Amino acid sequence: MGKNSLIHLDLLQLLYAYALILLSVSLARFKQIGQERQMLWASLRMVVQLLAVGYLLQLVFTVRSPLLVILILLSMTGFSLQVIGSRIRQHMPHFYRIMGSSIIIGCGGVTFYFCLLVVGYSPWYDPRYLIPLAGMIIGNSMNGASLAAERLTAEMRERHDELETALCLGATARQAAEPALRTAYRAALIPTMNTMAATGIVALPGMMTGQILSGTEPMLAVRYQIAIMCAITAAVAITAFLILLQGYRSYFTPADQLRQHNPLS
Amino acid sequence: MVAYPPEPASVPLLQLEQIATARKGPQGQITPFLTDISWSCQAAELTALIGPSGGGKSSLIRLINRLEEPQQGRILLAGTDINEIPPPLLRQRVGMMLQKAHMFQGSVLDNLQQPFRYRKTALPGADDPYLLQCLSLARLSPDYLQRDARTLSGGEQQRVNLARALINRPEVLLLDEPTSALDRPTTDSLGQTLLEICRSERLAVIMVTHDLRLSRRISDQTIYLEAGRIVEAGRTAELFSSPQSKALQGFLAEPAEEP
Repeated sequence: MGKNSLIHLDLLQLLYAYALILLSVSLARFKQIGQERQMLWASLRMVVQLLAVGYLLQLVFTVRSPLLVILILLSMTGFSLQVIGSRIRQHMPHFYRIMGSSIIIGCGGVTFYFCLLVVGYSPWYDPRYLIPLAGMIIGNSMNGASLAAERLTAEMRERHDELETALCLGATARQAAEPALRTAYRAALIPTMNTMAATGIVALPGMMTGQILSGTEPMLAVRYQIAIMCAITAAVAITAFLILLQGYRSYFTPADQLRQHNPLS
Repeated sequence: MVAYPPEPASVPLLQLEQIATARKGPQGQITPFLTDISWSCQAAELTALIGPSGGGKSSLIRLINRLEEPQQGRILLAGTDINEIPPPLLRQRVGMMLQKAHMFQGSVLDNLQQPFRYRKTALPGADDPYLLQCLSLARLSPDYLQRDARTLSGGEQQRVNLARALINRPEVLLLDEPTSALDRPTTDSLGQTLLEICRSERLAVIMVTHDLRLSRRISDQTIYLEAGRIVEAGRTAELFSSPQSKALQGFLAEPAEEP
């Protein structure tokens, strides 16, 4: 086998792989955990979703239209908003406006900086680069964005007495919310920090592994991995920062009052 | 100590004019709550707000430092509409002790310095004369300054709360059931402290309370609030000895209500 040649997986080989799922389902059935149907369903969804994405990507790679690429990136953002929204939109005023604008500015800004300045390919919308890189940046930032929003809503609820005490002593809304913002920002950044610290020791990152499997030199794959980790960290930091900056304000009226006590203001 | 009644001033220190508020119900419907509240008070005067739970006492004092907003009417502080004063500045001039004394992390000194952090001015040290005066007004010894505020007893925390509210040198002090979590001797002692501070610092003190005994003992004027309306108001001694309205007569005849 040549150094850069790929081993293609045919249908039979995929079936061998799928047999591992069937083995897992049999084990679950044997232990009577009652989740066999869900496991099968989840595995089928995985197969169908990935096949669909595969066909879509092939289409996009062939068409190479900037509009189509942007549309795909926007729908990725929309889907991720939907996933986070189902958990917290009721507790956070103006959820979609705040999250949407923060993700578009934070992830979008970092993605284009990374693609144009760091990788520097052309044309800028080349789907072979833009879609996987943006996908990784958005996907990883979602975790941070969701943690920032969840932690902020919880902190604003739990710290109600502290917030009112601070306001009563002459604090501005920003000053009163500062401890809650600090805690939420820390919570949003910790998983990214942990991932960076553990990368290469605990687990080999997916993109690097994928590149090596498809024949890239390990050192080049490592360079790509370092660069994408930097981009993900910045995207998480900027997105979470923007969410918190806009998010805390939505809990207060312009007169530095807690909105929950002034529903008519 | 300044004797009561205070000298009449040309402009009342605090004046509420035809205040009305509304609330949003569970189905989003808007219903009136406080209705036609007009009343005023002077410096060095202690006013007690009494009445059944849910009658609007706490909501009323929360309007005075703009934690909440009225739908109608206006509130004047020394003749100036409070809406013209930036909220952080207003809340320095109108101090408030909330029912639950929230202590910030750190020592009692850290807690007393907190308002200065908000104002971004130099922090007073443990030997600052005014800080020590506030501590002494709240009947706390300087030994407390280095103690962890969160490990103090309920009564001690309420005293730190009081000292912290005084550190901004407010003109008006709002108290939302300051003694609700305290036992009788601590309540009496805090009540006496409040009255002394009201007179010596020429503070207008407005206190929401369920404790009729305390209200009768220390307040100059009493307001009886029921279902969002002032049913009766006047000098405390007269109001308690000869209540005019049936509602107040009934309320005073009832055994003390637990908050």
